[in-house]
Amino acid sequence: MKSNTTAIGLGVLGIIFLLIAALYALGVLQILASTTSGPHYKHAILFAVLAVASFVAANFARPKTA
Amino acid sequence: MTFAQALFMGLLQGATELFPVSSLGHSVIIPSLLHWSFKQSNPTFVPFLVLLHLGTAGALLVLYRDQWIAIIRGFFAAALRGSITTPAERLSMLLLAGTIPAGVLGVFFETRIKSLFASPYVAAGFLVVNGFLLLGFELLRRRAERRAALDSKPRAEQEQSFAEAERISFRAAAVIGACQALAFLPGISRSGVTIGGGLLAGLRHQEAARFSFLLATPVILAAGLVEVPQLLSSGVPVGEYVAAAILSGLAAYASARFLLRYFRSGRLDPYGVYCIGAGLVSLALLLFNL
Repeated sequence: MKSNTTAIGLGVLGIIFLLIAALYALGVLQILASTTSGPHYKHAILFAVLAVASFVAANFARPKTA
Repeated sequence: MTFAQALFMGLLQGATELFPVSSLGHSVIIPSLLHWSFKQSNPTFVPFLVLLHLGTAGALLVLYRDQWIAIIRGFFAAALRGSITTPAERLSMLLLAGTIPAGVLGVFFETRIKSLFASPYVAAGFLVVNGFLLLGFELLRRRAERRAALDSKPRAEQEQSFAEAERISFRAAAVIGACQALAFLPGISRSGVTIGGGLLAGLRHQEAARFSFLLATPVILAAGLVEVPQLLSSGVPVGEYVAAAILSGLAAYASARFLLRYFRSGRLDPYGVYCIGAGLVSLALLLFNL
């Protein structure tokens, strides 16, 4: 499924994941965390990996020109 | 925990981590059966086990060093190009697809799973479940062999009819990866469920084991990155624990070499029978406080 729309959507998703990762790392975001204070590095690493996966998927979804 | 106990735990964890018999389950049950006084609910116990897992991950990195170099190169090449052209590139993307579900489930279900963690009864119960899972995987595999009219052929020939790890679909890789989350339950084996998942996806036993071992490495390393600082800051004998982790790594390396040779023609059945037996005996011993 190669289209610019999909690629842009996945790119935006990657940016959102990256922001969430930063918020967890800074301790701003506490949703679904085992403790309610401090940074959550495990969550931050997870969302950073999800961001990388989204950017990779966006590059795969981008229509290639010959 | 004494130094000798730490070394024993390292040897136990390393020897059982890659066998489909649940190292975590053994690490919970055996100290209880031996009436060792250290508390498994102690906050340093989980980081200690993670340190031992890092020993195992180190052994896997050494064992598959050439493949990991190819996988990492392949990942960057495919990611930047936006297409897959080589088996190593495909394997790198399959590992990414398999690692994400395990990571998501691990991060969000960690607290609930840890609450089950400290009970040897739960671990013994899940060890029995693990045994039935392994036997179930082999039952389904034998059915697939019969369907492909392979049941009368020699084992080596049967195995050659199945695929290599690079050939599985991304959906199958993601499902196998999600199965890894089951291993957060003590008694359920990470390698058992992932090897079983690989068999269901049509891989050879040896290839399913290789994919399982490769898939385990990033998750173990990521868990270690997060948990080890807790171990360092809590005033525990780090030197002794590191010695145990090294012992764990050596045992894991030997186990991996053995298993890769065994799975050329071997099946999961003996491990399934062992898990059912060991789980039931452990439950009986724990219930009667022997």
